Amino acid sequence: MTVVNPQQTFPGRILEVTLPAGEGGRSVSVGGQTSLPLLPEGERPNAAAIGIEIRTGDEELPPSLSHAFGGKGTDPATLAGNLVEESGAQFLFLSLAGCHPDLGGHAVSRGAGIVRDVLEAVPCPAIVGGCGEEETDALLFPAVAEAAQRPVFLSYADEKNYRLVAGAALAYGHGVVSWSPIDINMAKQANLLLGDIGVPPHRVLIDPLTGGLGYGLEYTYSIVERIRLAGLSGDGALARPILCHLGDSWKAREALDSAEESWGDVIARGRRWEEATAWACLAAGADLLVCRHPDNVKTLRGMVGAPWR
Amino acid sequence: MSEPKPGTLRFLPEDVSLPVAPGETILCHAIRAGVPLLSPCGGEGRCGKCRVIISGESTGGDDPGVLSEADLSAGVRLACRCHPSSGKLTVTVPPGSRPARLAAYLEGRDVAGDEPFLPLHAATGGRRPLGVALDLGTSTLAGALIDLSDGRLIARAAADNPQMPCGEDLISRIVYGEEHEGGFALLRQLLAAGVEKVIAALLGSGPAEGEIVEVTAAGNTVITHILFGASPAPIRHPPYQPVLREYPVRTGKELGSLAAPSAPWRLFPSLGGFVGGDIVAGVLASGMHREDGVCLLFDVGTNGEVALGNREFLMVCSSSAGPAFEGGEVACGMRAYPGAIESARIDPETLAAEWTVIGGGKPLGICGSGILDLCAEMFRTGLIDRAGQFVPRPGAPFTETVRGRAFVVASAERSATGSAICFAAPDLKSVLRTKAALCAAAESLLAAVGLPRDAVERVYIAGGFGNFLDLRSALSLGLFPPFPLETYVPLGNASLAGAIGAIRSRRRWREALSIAAGATYHDLSSDAGFMEAFQRALFIPHTDEESYRKILASQGGR
Amino acid sequence: MALTALEIYKLLPKTNCKECGFPTCLAFAMQIAAGKAGIDQCPPASEEAKETLGAASAPPLPKVIVGTGERAVILGDEVVLYRHEKTFYHPTAFAISVSDALDDDAFRDRIRRIRSLSFERMGETLAVDMVAVRCDSGDPARFAAAAAAAKEGAGKPLLLSGPCDALAAALPSLGPDRPLLSPPVGEGEAGARLAAPLGLPLVVRAKGIDGLEKALAAARAAGACDLVADPMPASLPDAVSLSVYLRRLAILHRAREVAFPTAFDLGNGFPSPFAAASLLVPKYGSLLVLDSDDPADIFPLLTLRQNIFTDPQKPIQVEAGIYPIGKANGSSPVVITTNFSLTFFTVRSDIEASRVPAHLLIADCDGMSVLTAWAAGRFTGESIAKILSESGIAGAVSHRTLILPGMVARLSGKIEELSGWRVLVGPQESSALPSYLRRLPPAAFAPADV
Repeated sequence: MTVVNPQQTFPGRILEVTLPAGEGGRSVSVGGQTSLPLLPEGERPNAAAIGIEIRTGDEELPPSLSHAFGGKGTDPATLAGNLVEESGAQFLFLSLAGCHPDLGGHAVSRGAGIVRDVLEAVPCPAIVGGCGEEETDALLFPAVAEAAQRPVFLSYADEKNYRLVAGAALAYGHGVVSWSPIDINMAKQANLLLGDIGVPPHRVLIDPLTGGLGYGLEYTYSIVERIRLAGLSGDGALARPILCHLGDSWKAREALDSAEESWGDVIARGRRWEEATAWACLAAGADLLVCRHPDNVKTLRGMVGAPWR
Repeated sequence: MSEPKPGTLRFLPEDVSLPVAPGETILCHAIRAGVPLLSPCGGEGRCGKCRVIISGESTGGDDPGVLSEADLSAGVRLACRCHPSSGKLTVTVPPGSRPARLAAYLEGRDVAGDEPFLPLHAATGGRRPLGVALDLGTSTLAGALIDLSDGRLIARAAADNPQMPCGEDLISRIVYGEEHEGGFALLRQLLAAGVEKVIAALLGSGPAEGEIVEVTAAGNTVITHILFGASPAPIRHPPYQPVLREYPVRTGKELGSLAAPSAPWRLFPSLGGFVGGDIVAGVLASGMHREDGVCLLFDVGTNGEVALGNREFLMVCSSSAGPAFEGGEVACGMRAYPGAIESARIDPETLAAEWTVIGGGKPLGICGSGILDLCAEMFRTGLIDRAGQFVPRPGAPFTETVRGRAFVVASAERSATGSAICFAAPDLKSVLRTKAALCAAAESLLAAVGLPRDAVERVYIAGGFGNFLDLRSALSLGLFPPFPLETYVPLGNASLAGAIGAIRSRRRWREALSIAAGATYHDLSSDAGFMEAFQRALFIPHTDEESYRKILASQGGR
Repeated sequence: MALTALEIYKLLPKTNCKECGFPTCLAFAMQIAAGKAGIDQCPPASEEAKETLGAASAPPLPKVIVGTGERAVILGDEVVLYRHEKTFYHPTAFAISVSDALDDDAFRDRIRRIRSLSFERMGETLAVDMVAVRCDSGDPARFAAAAAAAKEGAGKPLLLSGPCDALAAALPSLGPDRPLLSPPVGEGEAGARLAAPLGLPLVVRAKGIDGLEKALAAARAAGACDLVADPMPASLPDAVSLSVYLRRLAILHRAREVAFPTAFDLGNGFPSPFAAASLLVPKYGSLLVLDSDDPADIFPLLTLRQNIFTDPQKPIQVEAGIYPIGKANGSSPVVITTNFSLTFFTVRSDIEASRVPAHLLIADCDGMSVLTAWAAGRFTGESIAKILSESGIAGAVSHRTLILPGMVARLSGKIEELSGWRVLVGPQESSALPSYLRRLPPAAFAPADV
């Protein structure tokens, strides 16, 4: 070869984080790499992990998802069990959206009960998300932390609520998803605050906020690239696995609308809308993807592992 | 005490009375009566500093978001929002609502001292040729008197800038000028009066028998425009450019000043809307324009100007840092005059604050150096986290106020005002924003030219604050970028020092002109990296704290 | 090796003569460092300066143009590996294939479907750029006819894929339209000899980077200059790594022997074409050929391209004005915010989610978000009052109530004073809009007394 070797080496390594499973389930590890994604260089002990989201509450499902979920169960535990098995998801993301006052107003105790039931029914590793309403979540996180009979990750802690979420996590041995609004400096700051309060680094995942395709994806894309480059270049507080939650892609009109004929079939289009978002995030450096469509989980699972070894 | 005449407003303790003008607030009356009254926000009802105690009838100025029950029943009102109604009104201005008398912002470097003095004027018939060098600051006007026959510095004096009630910061003053009929004329009048007061103090201070034959004045662009008679309003509107950069020399009379009417007044040139002659004078005073090594210059004031350069280049910017270290925007903040807490420590065990007060006695509030110490100490003792949020700790002297959670610096019994002196969450935010803006400005200048931070050999700190601040507190908080402690050189009132140098030496004046001509103004609002640098600098001491830790560790001590 | 502004400044005359249009030499140096000005703008610059600074700005990846006129497609001409370092300039080109083996009706139908792959979003029209005509028939005359029909029917630049005799048959009529020639791997030199005399762009294929280096050298030796490299990956991981390595070689290592725009044929049975396209758009694919004409596939890919190729340094903005959402009428709420695209689309989407019809009033703030615009003095009491009187919103609603973003609550007094409208302070976060709007009392929007 007359041309130079184009492989790139970095001085840093992304911390390896393991999401533990329940009895009979398989834990999943992410991180540990010394190179940029999807390339045959450096050390890459773990492939990206693909998970699936189940949401409680009474939001209307996008057509593509109601089509995929049809007949697989209505209560969270059953639905979760079926979807995880069918899709091969490596972890479950349980969003307690139903506890939001506008999306069902479930009592905190009900949310905690759902967590208990789901974790018992589905042994794969789990991340539990709050409802997104500040006051409710302040009560929900401690309750969930207590109700979960095995270690999970709590999503999410940000600069405002980190004491509460970290407190709940530390008290019951859970991990924390560290969230920031598409800002690399705030991502680092959130991790520093969590470290200060005693959350061990190997129990932290970075969620940089993923904008859906067409609605801010490019901001996420660049922040994820920058975070990954910083981590590999030696910035310890950013050398952590990155989680991209693809839920925002389902808010796009283009993923939901069945009226426009020239846009093609909405069932396929909705799924593709999430899939394109997923690939872009992987290309940027995502170590965990949270999908809603089981077929995307299947597709991604089939492709991110062995082929890239 | 006699009853005020009907339709009269009487101010105490000056015992100045004036007829009530219908529709005007108490603050407006105070301005007209020449009664000094704080109004940092320019009378917009935002800062809560213009508290007065009324006896009589009035309407307004009783916002329960700012004044407590106790305040309201004791007759406390906000002068900028309060209107006399019945016409028989006595208004007492308490000490906490008064601006500073004399600030210790007079000491500065000897700029022209390294060269032999060449007199351009001679003493004639026993009358000495005198030169006046002025620093036209936003809050304080300072001056120095020089004997131009031998170059000796004879006297110094200072006075508050009488424009203060029209707004603490420059934008507020421009807004005042735009929104009040005759506003700019009033601002000019007030400024001229303040300058005359300084000059009178200089002349009256000693046996100097003489005539003022030259004046140099260094001030920020807005104030220099006002003095010159040009409207500063265009600075506030796109394309945000000042009317003038170089000011043609005018006599005192042409400038509308009663002092030194026939002497030529040389006004230091401006570099941009928010970087003015005071920075040019400061650069001159630092000598950085003659150095081989790259230097930074910080002016820790509301505009937060930063300069980077050496004899090869000069780049300047304004970070709009905010007045947190001048006592503004911090509720218990004040200028550095008697009654101000100027240094503070917090006991790591008891979490109680101990402090020293300028002039001794009980404290009225906290000045810049005290605020700096306090914040650094709160962080050191774990009362606030890196993001500047209060950490709930048992035994911590926190209290809930109308402005949220606050750290009690001095309890009501220990304070001179009778109320506790508290440092609340919004105050902390102001301090962090100010220091983040300064650091980010420096980082942005370095990035703009492409220099690494370690290329900087010296960091000049202009402004009186620089002489009093504790460098370790400054680095613990992250007020400046991290350099070894000996890198920092406080200049004192660099603007005045530069004005003095320029009046002593024509060569220095020409240097000032060439500094201004060669300087590059860097607009931070269009610098994409500035906002990111700002976000990084919001942490205590910084998101990238390693350099700070190393420097503080290597210096030992606390 | 990029020079810093200070290093550039040291090469300049340092007289601040302003002939370049900038106030000082240092300011000019900063513009050169940012790639926004050239040394040619400085007449008094020294020869040394002109040479150093001129050379430093030669592009690491050459530009190849396919097609002519308005629809010409630009490939290559990129300068950075990561869009956040500056921006990506030329969006990945998409070519949808059509086979010359199709019968006339099927062919026309296919071309029609390709043409209808056009979508409006964010004020832009997203469409595929080219048609790739495949010679599956083996018949040069048939291929030439198909190519002509494709040009006629689709009106887009063409990629002509087939053996050299087929390409040669198509050139007499299509040459002037500057199609991209794509001969099979064994006919590289013949293809170069076809392309060179007409100055046409050419796809050079070989397996792997070493092979490409040789094939590209051979093509250049035969006189072809406008080259596009196809490293013929066998799998998706192969495609990604080859694409990344070729781009690194061009940009980081300045390896001119392989620095060319890239083309990938993701049709013809290539595994997982949708995934491949999704990865190659951000990862340096200059041209992608796809067999799918399904809008469910193409619309997301074009949107991904739109996102990745947005200039990160320019805030994207929408036009100022009144945007009625749902069946908004005279008594619907009026919500105001700035014209930063993300703000606009987020707020609009939240209003839609509330199911409460409303008028979204967008203020021109140069694409700044609410807080940034307020800090910069672009979103003020005065500017909002002005919009209320000049935008025509007063004619669109019978009430005079405005909902203001919670972040700038402090402006409400000023707005009320200047405009006479009543201001309701909305939530701090747009995501709270749905519940906020649903809880508004209808009485808030009763017709105002005029």
